[in-house]
Parts: sequence; C-alpha cells; structure tokens
Amino acid sequence: MADSNNNLVTFTINGKEISVPKGTTVLEAAKMNGINIPTFCWHPKLKPVGACRICYVEIEKMPKLMVSCATEAMPGMVVYTESEKVKKGRKAVIEFILINHPLDCPTCDKGGECDLQDLTFAHAIDDSRFDFNKMRFIRDKSATFDDVRIGPEIIRNQNRCILCYKCVRANNEVFGEHDLGAYQRGNITEIDAPPGEQVDSLYSGNLVEICPVGALTNTDWRYKIRVWNTQTVNSICPYHADGANIKLWKDRNRIFRVTSRRNDEIDEGWLSDITRYGYQIAKPDNRLTTPLVKKGDSQVPVQWEEALGLIARRFKEIKDNKGGVCLGGIISPNMDCTSVYAFSKFFRTILNSNNVDFRTEYKMLPEAAGDLYGKMTSRKFTIAEIERADVIAVVGSDIMREHPNVNLWIHKAVTRKHASLYIANPVETSTGRIANDEIIYNIGTLDAFLNGVCVAIIESGLADQSVNTGDFARLIEPNTVERASKISGISAERIRAFAKAIVGAQNPCIITGEIFTSAVNREKLAGALHNLALLSGLYKKGQVGVLPRAANSKGCEKLGVMPHLSAKMQSKLKEIWGTYPDVAGLASDRMIVSANKEELDALFVIGSNPVFNSPDGLFVKEGVEKLDFLVVADLYESETSQMADVVLPLSSWAEYADRFVNLEGRVQKFEKAINPIPHSRPAFDIINSIAKELKNPLFESKDKLQKDIDSLLEFDSADEPEMKPVEVKYTEDKKTPGFDIPMLIVDQVHHYGHWTEKTHSLSEFCNEAFLEISPALAEKLNVDDGTIVRVESEVARINLPVKISEIIDGNVVLAYRNFATSPVNNLQMRKRRVDWVKIARVEGSKA
Amino acid sequence: METKILTKYVDDPNQVKIDTFMERDGYKAWKKVLTEMTPDQVIDEVKKSGIRGRGGAGFPAGMKWSFIPKNSPKPRYLVCNADESEPGTCKDRVLMENDPHSIIEGMAIASFAINCHLAFIYIRGEFALCAKRMEAAMEEARQKGILGKNIFGTGYDLDMIVHTGGGAYICGEETGLLNSLEGERGNARIRPPFPAIEGLYACPTIVNNVETLACVPHVINNGAEWYSAMGTEKSKGTKMFSLSGHIKNPGNYEVLLGTPLSVLINDLGGGMLDGHKLKAIIPGGSSTPFLLPDQIDTPLDYESIAAAGSMLGSGAVIVISDKTCMVWVLERLIHFYRHESCGLCTPCREGTGWLEQMISRIERGEGKPGDLEKIEDVCGNILGRTVCPLGDAAVMPIQSALKLFRDEWAYHIEHGKCMVKTQFEFK
Amino acid sequence: MILNEKSVAEIKARMARYPSKKSVILPALTVAYRQAGHLNDNLYHEISEITGIPSVDIAAAATFYTMFPKHEVGKYLIQVCHNISCALLGADSLIEYLESKLGIKKGETTEDKVFTLISVECLGSCTTAPMMQINDEYYENLTREKVDKILEELRNKA
Repeated sequence: MADSNNNLVTFTINGKEISVPKGTTVLEAAKMNGINIPTFCWHPKLKPVGACRICYVEIEKMPKLMVSCATEAMPGMVVYTESEKVKKGRKAVIEFILINHPLDCPTCDKGGECDLQDLTFAHAIDDSRFDFNKMRFIRDKSATFDDVRIGPEIIRNQNRCILCYKCVRANNEVFGEHDLGAYQRGNITEIDAPPGEQVDSLYSGNLVEICPVGALTNTDWRYKIRVWNTQTVNSICPYHADGANIKLWKDRNRIFRVTSRRNDEIDEGWLSDITRYGYQIAKPDNRLTTPLVKKGDSQVPVQWEEALGLIARRFKEIKDNKGGVCLGGIISPNMDCTSVYAFSKFFRTILNSNNVDFRTEYKMLPEAAGDLYGKMTSRKFTIAEIERADVIAVVGSDIMREHPNVNLWIHKAVTRKHASLYIANPVETSTGRIANDEIIYNIGTLDAFLNGVCVAIIESGLADQSVNTGDFARLIEPNTVERASKISGISAERIRAFAKAIVGAQNPCIITGEIFTSAVNREKLAGALHNLALLSGLYKKGQVGVLPRAANSKGCEKLGVMPHLSAKMQSKLKEIWGTYPDVAGLASDRMIVSANKEELDALFVIGSNPVFNSPDGLFVKEGVEKLDFLVVADLYESETSQMADVVLPLSSWAEYADRFVNLEGRVQKFEKAINPIPHSRPAFDIINSIAKELKNPLFESKDKLQKDIDSLLEFDSADEPEMKPVEVKYTEDKKTPGFDIPMLIVDQVHHYGHWTEKTHSLSEFCNEAFLEISPALAEKLNVDDGTIVRVESEVARINLPVKISEIIDGNVVLAYRNFATSPVNNLQMRKRRVDWVKIARVEGSKA
Repeated sequence: METKILTKYVDDPNQVKIDTFMERDGYKAWKKVLTEMTPDQVIDEVKKSGIRGRGGAGFPAGMKWSFIPKNSPKPRYLVCNADESEPGTCKDRVLMENDPHSIIEGMAIASFAINCHLAFIYIRGEFALCAKRMEAAMEEARQKGILGKNIFGTGYDLDMIVHTGGGAYICGEETGLLNSLEGERGNARIRPPFPAIEGLYACPTIVNNVETLACVPHVINNGAEWYSAMGTEKSKGTKMFSLSGHIKNPGNYEVLLGTPLSVLINDLGGGMLDGHKLKAIIPGGSSTPFLLPDQIDTPLDYESIAAAGSMLGSGAVIVISDKTCMVWVLERLIHFYRHESCGLCTPCREGTGWLEQMISRIERGEGKPGDLEKIEDVCGNILGRTVCPLGDAAVMPIQSALKLFRDEWAYHIEHGKCMVKTQFEFK
Repeated sequence: MILNEKSVAEIKARMARYPSKKSVILPALTVAYRQAGHLNDNLYHEISEITGIPSVDIAAAATFYTMFPKHEVGKYLIQVCHNISCALLGADSLIEYLESKLGIKKGETTEDKVFTLISVECLGSCTTAPMMQINDEYYENLTREKVDKILEELRNKA
C-alpha cells in the first residue's frame, strides 16, 4: 500500500490497519496500538537479539513464524498475533523453557510479577510431557536450592534462568560495566560474575529488575513480602539532581523496595543503586524519634511543645537584642520545595535575616549575587538532549558518581550515536573508559587549561565570527597554548584536538560538576567556561550545563534559598511577601567564620551536617561550639546534632508528599508512602510551628503556599551573561613544602552524603572509608590494600586504610566523605584551592 | 572420472612454495584482475560463471558479492570461512595444507571485487597445520609483493590475517563466525541486518567458503564461459566431495557437478567394504537427510539431490552399511548438535537437549511408547523457528531417519535393543 | 606471571593487526593454551592485563570454546573423534583400546601425567577415520599397531 507520507508505513495487524514510522518493528507497532505480544528477551532500550522466540507472529506470504521484535513493519504486511499457528508456536516455546525450569514458585521472590508464570498461566499449561530429571547447576551438593550470591545485593539461581541475556546485554550495552558475563555454551550456559569478581557496579540493581524470572533476585527484598500484598507509590529519587522517577513498594507503613518508574526523558528505566537502596533511610531503625534539649551536659528527650517554645524564645531574644544578622540557617538541598521555601521565608520575613544557604560542602562561596558563576549555573540544561550531541565534554566532574543517570545518557550518545567524548578532570574517572581523550590536567589548573583551549580556538581561525578575539590576549593568562600546556601538564597537541572538537561540533554539550562548583576560584572557572562558550558559538548551538548535585539544589536556587539574591529576585520576593530584609547576608561558610568570631549567635540546621561535611571540620566544630544556640533537625543523630542545644526528629521524603526540582528545572512530585516515623515531623511543619510560636505563622495550609512557590518556580530570575569575553588570569596555587599529594573529597561510589551509611544495603557495598590511591603511588609509599596510612594536612591528620585503585594513575588521592568513623573533611583547608596532604605508612601496619 | 581443477597439484609437496605456484600460472589471475579489470567486471564474471557457495548453502557467489552497498563509507571485509566442522567434511583442509596460495589468490580477487583491503581467513583451531601453512604462504606472498601496499604498482593495498578458532561448529555459521572473529562469544546473530550490510565490526562483509574462493582464479584465467560449460544447468563447475564411512577407498574426490553418486561411491570409492551392503547415504554432511540405496544414481548437483529429498550441502558423502543401527547413528548426531548449540535461542538450546535425552534413552533400550511421536513434534517445534540453521541441521536427519527407518526405531522401543547392531571393530 | 615474554610479544603483535583489539581474544587464548597446556582464571587475568580487554570478555569467550582444556591435562592430550564417520569405522572400540592400553577411563589422566584421554566431535579428518589428535598433530588411519607405536614414541619423548 503506497503512502503519501514517506515516513509512515501502513500495514494490517489482526485485521486492523495501523500506521507507524518507517523502521518500526512489528512488535513495537503492536505495542503502540495496544496489542499485547509476549516477550522475554526484548527490552525497549536494548538491541533485539531474537533469542527467546516467544514474540512469534504469523505474516501472510511468509512460510515461517517470524519474531516480531526483529521484523520491520513493511507496507501492506498482514500480521496475525493470535492465530492458531502463533498460539501453538508460543506454547512450544513455553514448553521448551519449562522443561528445565524448576518448580520454585512457592519460594521464588519473583512470584506474582514473573513473566514466565503469567505466560504459563495464560496458556493453561498444567502438565508436562518432559519425563527426565530437570537440569541443575549445583555448586553446593548439600543445598536444596542452588542460590549463589554473586554480588552484595544479587542472588543468582541459574536453574531458573531462561537465558534471555537481558542482564549481560544491559550491563554491557547500557552501563558499560564488565562485572557480569555468560560462560559455557548451549544449555549449560551460566550467567555469573567474572572469576574472582562480584557484580557490584553502581547500576547492579537494575539487573535484578530487568530479569523476567527469578534467576536474579535482590538480597534486600528476599522473602520479605509477596508482591501482591504491596501497594506502589510514585516518588522521585531524593539524592541526585538527575531526578530519577521511582516507585516505592509499601505495605502498612513499611517500605520494601524501590523500582523504576521509567521516565524516558530522565532515567529511561535505569536507576543507580543509591536511588534504589537509599529508601532505607526512611526506615525507623536508629532514627531520631523525639525532640532533645541540652540540659547540663546531656541531651534530654522532651515534648515538641517544649522544644519549639524554647527555639522560638531564643530566636526572638537574639533577633530583638542583636538583630537578624546574628541568626543563620543552613538547610539541606535534598529537602523538598515547601520546606526550603518556608525556611527562606521564615528567616527573611520573621527573623529579618538574609543568612540562609543550602551549600555546605563548598569553600569560599560567592559574596554577592550577579556573579558570572551564578549566571552560568542557571543556564537551562536538558538531559535528553545529550543523546543528540555530537561532541560531549565533561569538564571537572566524575560524572558517574555525581549524576548516575546523566552518565548513562553520555554512554548512550557515545556508544550508540557515535558521539565524541572528552573528559577534563584532575583524576581519572570510570566514564573515561569510553572517552576519545581523558585529559588529566594538573590539579588546580583547570582555568589555565580552558584558557589554553580558548587560545587554540582563536589560533585555529574557527572561532565564532561575532566575537572580538583581539581582546583575549590581554584578558586571559596563560594566553599561549604552550604556556597553558606547561601549567596544566597537557600536551599542546591534545589541547588543540580538544579545541578543534568543541569548535567543530554541530551540537556540542559541555557538562561540569563538583570540581567546578566546589572550586575556590569558581568565578574564574565560570569566566573561562564563558569565554569558551563564546568562542565556540556554544551559546547559539548545543548546551552548557553547570550541574548541581542534590535532588533539590535547583529548587533551592529557584526559590532563593541563598544569602545573595539578584535585584530581580529580591523585588519578586518583596512582591510576594510585602517585605525583604535590608541587611547583608552570609553564605554558609561565612556563617561558620562569623560563629568563630562569636558574631553569629545562633544556627538553625535542617538535614545538613556541617561539622562532618563542611571543609575544615575542626574549624567548623570550633565555630559551632562557640554558638550560643544551635538547633539541628535531622533523620539520624549526627556529628552536628550531637553538639546541638535542640535536636528535632525530621521526617524523610517518603513520609509526606511534596516536590523536587531536578537539574533541568523540571518540577516533579513525590507522593507520601508511609506515615512520619513517630515523632518526627516534616521540615516545613517544624518551621511553621516555630513561626506560629512567634505569632507569625507562614501558612495556614500547605496548599496556599504552593501558589507562591509555583510563581517562583516559573519565574525566570536568571540573567544572561554579557556576550563579551571576561578576564581570567590563572594564578599558581599556594603550596607548603612537604605537603605534595593532592587530595579530593568525594562520595564513595555507592554512597551519598552522611545518610547512606545508615542503609544496610549500601553498606554491603562499602562500609568504611578508604583512601583510594594509584598503584604507582602505592608502590612509592610501600603500601598495599588495607595498609593503614596517616594522612596529614596543615590543619589535621587522620588514619585511613588504603585501597589501590583500578582507575587512578597519578598522584591524586580520593578520600570518602560518607563514613562517620572518618571525618575526612577535617583535612580540608577552607580557603585553599587544592587540599595538599602528606601520606605515610603507619608503623606496625601490614605492607 | 575426476576432473581435477582445484586439486590438480595437491599431491605435489612443492605446490606450497610460491615459486612453484607461480610457475604453474599462480597469481596470474590476481595480476590480471588488478591491472586489467574493474571490481564490477570481476563480479560479473563470477556471476556468469555460476559458482555457488561450496560451504553448504549453495548461494551464488557473484550475487552475494553484489550485495555490498556501493555507497557505504565503511571499510569492507572479506572473510574466508575455513571452519570446516560439518561432520563428514574434510575437503578445505586438503586445499589449505597443499595449495594454500590458491586460496590466497581467490581471497585476493574477491577482496578486490568488493574493495576490501584487509581480508581474514577463519580456520578452525584444530587445523594447526593448515594455519601454519596459510600463514607461511601469506608471508611468502608479502615478500613477493603479492600482498601488501601498492600491489603490482596499481596502488591497491591488501593484507590478510589468519584467525584460528577454538572448537565450535557454530563458528562455521556465518554470523557465529563474525561474532567469534570480533572476539565475542560465537553466538549466531539475527538477520536482518545481513552481513553484506552490517557484518564484521558492523561493516559490509562477505563470507565465502575456502573451496568457493579457490574456484575464482580459475574462472578469471579461463573465463566464465569455460567454467559454466562444466556441470549442469544450475550447478556449474566441479566440486570436491569427501567420501567416508564403510567404503573401500575413502578420500576427497573432485568431480564435475552432475556426476552420479554411483560413480563416486562405486567407481572412485571402490564400493562398499567387503561384507557390507549399502544401507543409507548421507549426501552433503551430517545435517542432510538420508538417501536410500535405490537413489544411488542421483546426480551430484544441487537440484537433483534436492529433488531426491536431501541437500548437496558441503559435499560430504557418508556411506552407511547394513551393519549399522540407524538409531545409534542418530544418537551420535544429536549428541553433536546439542554439544555445538550456541545456546542463544530457546528452541535449539532446549530442544536439542531434550531430543538427545529422548533418542539416547531409546538407543539404550529404555524408550517408551509415544516417544517417536513426541520426537517428531519437538522437531517440528524447532524446524524453521531458530536464529540460525543449526536448529534445522539438528532436526532434519532425525526427521529423515524416522521417515525412512521407522521400523528400527519401533523395534528399539518395543524390544529394548537394536534391530541391527552396529558392528565395526577397530583394527 | 604464567605467560612468558615470547607469548606476550606474540599476543601484542597479533593485537596490533586487527581493526578492533577485542578480536585478539581467540588468538591470545590460543597462544596461552599452546604455552601453558590449558587455560585458567589466572591466564584470563593476564591476557586482560596485556591487552586491556576486560577479563569478563576473555573468560566469557574462553569458556564458549571446547578446544581449550580448562583444567590441567597430561603432557599429551589425546582427543579421539567419536563423530559419525569415525564412529562408523570403530571409534568406540578405538577409545576402549586406548582406555585399556593407558589404564584410564575417558576423561582421565594417567598417573604419570603423560597422557589425558578424551573424545571429541568431528575433527575434519573423516576420510582417514578412525583418527585422533594429540596436541597439535593428527594421527589418521589408525590401527592397533599404529596406536601402539604412537604411544610408545610419545612415552619415550616424555
């Protein structure tokens, strides 16, 4: 049948005429039109392999049954999905699968959501003509079930495996991981981790979700509850700014697991293990359950009324006697929109203070609004666009650790769409495996490197025509490729290749991350990035993303939870509130400095743990100690809460409904799954209760506040940077002799902040802090895996066991920020660009 | 009776040396093709000659070469399939061991025809001597400028790699071979995409059998008309047949296509061993249905054997005597196919396992009533339902044996033992 | 490190010739097998180090193929073809004969670790059946006399 539209194919399926885009398979076409064809090995995000054969259809003029997953719909085809021949064919395939499939249903976790179970039932197969013993993959002859733990959270039962190969295909094609493979051939093929290894990548949980039967099951979910006894609640990942869409599976106030709620613009159905197992922070074990007030030397449980009354009284006292400038508030960017907005409104309209902030892990935060860095961070970034980029540059980020879902989009663009990938980072990353070039520049010289790239673009003659390149020579330093090469340690050839790739791209995508956002010289880096964007025409084509870390960082930004706001934003808030404090504000690091000088009297901390996470932990502790009044609300007891005058039990995101704004600016709702753990309360509730004590409630009902929040979320408070080059002069970082090993503080791959250590699943992957070092450095220091070393900076020292990295090559060492026994933030120097340390083996420790 | 074109010099140990080869008009065709012909002309000549794939499928070689897309910017690859693993077949080995240069020349001409500059020969791992001889011959060719850069000053570059396998019949199947060559597990691949469009490293690729390629230089030297004058209307040229089993003179024989089976078996093969009568013939390798003694006059060409109910296949003729139990034969064969199944698709993976269990049980004398019907039904659920032809290959001899020798199967089930016991003592 | 310098050099040389380095997996396994006599997990790791290919790909490919023994075998690996053409000409009794001559059953190794006996699928030598492959050599058209001679020669060499 001829189509007037060249891009559509019209054909008949079960007597119905349908039209689909050219290239669509018969299976996809059926699904698009509500016709169900069963599948095992097909997956919307994987290349079809035609292995299971269950998706047979009958097509007129074709003698054999065809597998619809691999047959392209052609004009005029006549397809039958439920003819007798098809039904018989399907039954034959099910019979083949069942002949060696064990009758484990009564104890198999997959029961109730098993494709094989459903299909067998649908075909009323209640007998078998197979009269031999079923094959068993026995590792332990004494065991009844042949379960093998192949990873911290994965149990494999090979007897149940129907060899659809989805797990190895996804692991390889989508995640680019190498910790799962198929071995042997024929019907003794086994799926397992490689010899001597475990299945423990950041994406390992997806393998269980993708398995159509109970061959791969989850340790966490095992034998806990039958799926038909649960209910699902729609939610959003509360950790990363990617904003993966999830389902919480619960029954009677208990959450049992998290699975994907596929959003093809964000996660495509894939979750990081942190998203998947991180729900365990919402469990009641070890949670703060009652308000505590410091009486004497100990923190004593009290009723909420007493705690709130005390807080209100003290805040009012300090505000009336010394002014709002002596009060400060730090709220975690993993808190919901209503809470962070209420926090800001509380401080500004009731306490007359601009000292509110959500950024605790960063040094030397900006002291004014309207900086170039702020303008760059508010640029729009769309995750799904990554797939369409032809050149991707990740600058200053370990993208997998920081944004596990964005990482998968990059992987997809590179491996399926043949995009070029360049990474510029001070230390090797796992995503570097697929990069055209992973540029490891000397730590602290990113601006010099970027300046070199700018010069290379100008020299190539391919710079954007509308830019006046003449100014650059005097505005930037280094202003020659050779000098940039010398400073950054990257050859001129590679700098030029990188420049050429960016400037030659049709649809470039530059992504930056934590190295960038946490940098002391972030304004210079923003300048360098801006210059690069100008020269390469990036502002007109492609996108630049300065990605924030947390689930609601963008929400905090858009709702103004920062001390310094642009004039535009201030007037908008004044419009909504009728008032706005006319005082200077302090960023979180300045609040600590102020506390140290005894100029800040009180701090209100929600969900954050500055003593453990902010740079220069001992300095922070000193400052916090000097405070007259410290209030901390958190899920669990923390280093900061232990020092507080009032501790309030906080409800987790699963215990109420609200919204997060992901790094794209996309507002996403999450629903309430369980009741707040007694006697915790959500943050916005706590804040409003204190406001009520001060006779000044922020809202009567949460809904009324949403209107204001909505208008702010829609408000475009961002200013575009001026389209002209800016000055960026690289200066050498201060270094003290003897301290010559650069240290980066990062999240361990399976952890996020200070909460995930409380989860049992993520702790299975890693439960203690290591110092990750390169094999070369290990040899130099004469240490091995597990050797204890003393890591010493100019402000502190700490002992850590060594872990020899498979990825790091040079001198940079990584310290994990997630484990209470090792406050590695103590080692950081809050004004210095690079945290230089010295490392020595501890005597008596094994080599 | 033999028409020795491919095997003319295989008995002369000097033939492996390039000087001897070239004295005998070796590499003349290669030079002619590079200096006087265009790739399209080469393809046309091969098409006109009527050469059909000698590995088993019998697909016209010239037509296959023309499937390479003209406009693809990707590099093209020629792969010579020397994985010879079809039970009964040992003909490619003869050429690789004794006339390696002829294969190189055939590969070179085919490479030129599809504009390939790096060709591969995938030799099964067990053929250590073949790999050694092919590599030595390629090195000789490089030294003499037959392979390498700017060959004969024409600007054409071509090099070749010998890649040895690891013991897998499925790697003789074209897509299994390509996966194996890429370093993956040797699983088959679904088609489309076909290798000519997306083959090795997702680039346009042609896979041809050793014997097929060895024919090509002769076609170039003597012309397509000369070649197509030999053989029958649809099966042109000569073919090597590996004759084995209960025959007096087992061996590899090259005859004109269309030569009757009886000539091969009785004349060249010398007839059955003393005391043995012919009972069944496998005409084209273990995957092909059986022929009966009264079909012995069937001409050895693609159509005639097909009309007789079987396939010419790889040309491995296995002769089975009356002192053989057919159930025992099938048990041997199904064991092979189950062992070699790659495990990708359900019907072959599970089906061959189940069939082996059932047939093995019958052979042991523990067959149950209804087993034969079950076997036939299971065969029907595998035939035509798999990713690659291995499933069909496993099933066709079983269906054939059940059709032609059903009494033996029934006897096994009823009496718990062979109707005719296999007796052959190793001397 | 099990692989010697020569093996490492050969693997690297072969790897350089392929458009994609992953193709070197089979040749590398063959080199390793020829030197070590069998394959094991350590060799997969070594090949992975040398080539930069993840060890899972190497192990997954290696276990797919049946030519490489995955456990230690005797100095001489005797592989007797038991497929149809050889079976028709007495391969089963050849195997029995070898079992009795060597004093071991199929799948086992002699006490002195000189011979391992296994039976395998078609080796492509059907016109010279019955036959066997010992390490890299084919021994064809076998008779009891020939088998005796071969075993003696090899025993003397060991």
